Amino acid sequence: MLRAARLARGFATVVDASSGVKVAAIDNGQATSSVTVLLKAGSRYETKPGVAHVLSNFAFKSTGKRSALGTVREAELFGGVLSSSLSREHLAITAEFLRGDEEFFVDVLASFLASAKFTRHELTEYVLPAVLAESHVAKHTGSTRALELAHALAFRNGLGNALFADKHAAGGITAEDVRALQAQAVSDLGSVAVLGTGIADDKLATLFEKSFAAHKAASSGPAVAAPAAPASAYHGGSTRASFHHGLQTVFVGFGTTTPSQVLALHALAAHLSPTPAVKWSSGVSAFATALPEGVSARTVFLPYSDAALFGVIVEGADAGKITAAAKAAVDTLKAAAGGKVTSEEVKRAVARARFAVAGGVEARDGVVSVLGPKVLSGEGATVQSALEAVERVDGAALSKIAADLLKSNPTYVALGDVNALPYGDEIGLTTA
Amino acid sequence: MPGPLGVSLAPYVRSSRSLYKFLKPVANWYANLSGYRKLGFHYDDLLVEERPDVQRALTRLTPRETYDRAFRLKRASQASVQHKELPKSEWIKPEEDVRYLAPHVLSVAKEDQERAVWDTINVERKK
Repeated sequence: MLRAARLARGFATVVDASSGVKVAAIDNGQATSSVTVLLKAGSRYETKPGVAHVLSNFAFKSTGKRSALGTVREAELFGGVLSSSLSREHLAITAEFLRGDEEFFVDVLASFLASAKFTRHELTEYVLPAVLAESHVAKHTGSTRALELAHALAFRNGLGNALFADKHAAGGITAEDVRALQAQAVSDLGSVAVLGTGIADDKLATLFEKSFAAHKAASSGPAVAAPAAPASAYHGGSTRASFHHGLQTVFVGFGTTTPSQVLALHALAAHLSPTPAVKWSSGVSAFATALPEGVSARTVFLPYSDAALFGVIVEGADAGKITAAAKAAVDTLKAAAGGKVTSEEVKRAVARARFAVAGGVEARDGVVSVLGPKVLSGEGATVQSALEAVERVDGAALSKIAADLLKSNPTYVALGDVNALPYGDEIGLTTA
Repeated sequence: MPGPLGVSLAPYVRSSRSLYKFLKPVANWYANLSGYRKLGFHYDDLLVEERPDVQRALTRLTPRETYDRAFRLKRASQASVQHKELPKSEWIKPEEDVRYLAPHVLSVAKEDQERAVWDTINVERKK
C-alpha cells in the first residue's frame, strides 16, 4: 500500500500543449534509463492483416536522420538496447540505455515517429525475414497458437486479429501499407504515450518535443485519420486444430467487456492459478491439487482497454491427463460459482491478486504494459484504483463473477491430437 | 577507387551551363551512335553487373522492372544471334532511356561506404 502510494507520487503525467504527447516517467534512481514510445498500432488497429507485425519489425530502420546501420552501430557504441514489442492494442518501441545518453536514444525514438522512411528494399531484405521467422516460431508454439485462436474466437475482429503475419499475409504487404499504419498511429499525438524509467518526466518531455519537432519539420505528409477501432464484443466458441510440434494444448476461457468484471477477474485468476508460491512445490489451490502429474497449467488473464480474456492453458503430452486437468479447472470455477470457496481461499486469492497488480508495475516491462494503456486512456499512471478494487473483492463477488462467466459462452481451443483431446462438453462446459 | 558506375565527369559538365549546352548535342549523338538503343537496350542494361553491389541493386528493382530488363536482354540476344538490329519501331527512344538501376546502385554503394566508415571508426571516450 505504502509502495503503491509512493509510486503514485513518482508519476506525473505531462500533457504538452504544443504537441499533445502524453509523457509519464518514474525515477527510482537506478543506473540505467529506459524510454518507451507507445503507439496505437497493435493488430487491433491494422487495416490489412499482419501490417502491425511488419511495422513492429520496421522500428529502428532508416529514417530521415540516420540509416538502419547507423542507428544500430551508434546504439552499440552507447551500450544501449533497442527493442520493439507488439501487443494486440499497442506497439511499444523501447530504448534502454545508461543515464546521460538520453539525448541520442530519445532522438532515435522520435525520428522513427516523425521521419521513418519505410523503404521497399528494407522491407524485403531485413523486415520480412524477421517477420516470417517470428511467425514461424509462434505457429509452432502451442500456447501462443492457442491464444491466437482463442482471441479470434472470443473477439472475432479487432482484438481477434492475428498478432503474427504469416507467409500469406506478409506476401501481400507493401511498404506503403506499413507507412499508412504508422502515419495513422502518429497522426494524433494525443494517442501517443512516452514512458520513461530512470529519467525525469520534464526532461523526457523537453527532449522528446525537441527531437520530434526537428524531424517533423524536415518531413511532412498528408493528414490521415487517427486510429479508431470499433468497440469490442465478446462472442466465444470452440475450435480444434491438429498440432504436432510439441505438447498438446487446451485453452478454456471466458471473455468479458464489462469493466467492473475485469477487476474482479484479477482475484478469480489468482484463485484459480495453480502456480505455487514456493519454488519446487505444488500449489495449494483446489485446481493445483487436482492437477495430474505430467500436465502443466497456468491461468491467463489479459485485460485490454475495453475487454478482457481470462482462462486456463493446460499443456501436456497425454490427452487423457489433459482432459482431467481441464475438467478440474472447470470444476473449480463451478465450485466458486456455487459459493463453495472458504474465506481463507478468498483472502489468499485477494492477497495474490494485489501482489500481482502492485508487483506488475515494478519491472520495466510492467510499466509499459500496465501503466502505458492507463496513460493513453487518460486515467493517470497509477494502479491505486485497481489495488483498492481488488481489495474489496469478497467471497460473494468471487462467486458472482465465476457464475457470470459460466453463464456466458466459453472460448474453448483444443490443439494437438484432435482425435483424443476432449470436446467442450466433456470437460463440463455447457454451451461450448 | 572508382565506384560501381566508373569515373564520370558528368557532374562537372552539368554544373557549367555553357559547357553543358556545348557538350549535350555531342553526348546525344554519341549515345545514338553507340547503337545500344537500336538493340532495344537502356543504358543501365549495359552496367557491369558482375560485382556484389550491382547484384544487390538488381534485387531492389520492382518485379516489373526486373521483368522488362530480362525481356530486353533476351530480345537483344536474339537480335545479336540474327546479326540484325531491331525494327525501327522497337528502338528505344532517348526519352525512354532512363537510369532505372543507377539510383539503386548508388544507394547500395553509399551503404557499403557507410558500413566501411562504421567498421573503421575511431571511438573516443566521452569527456
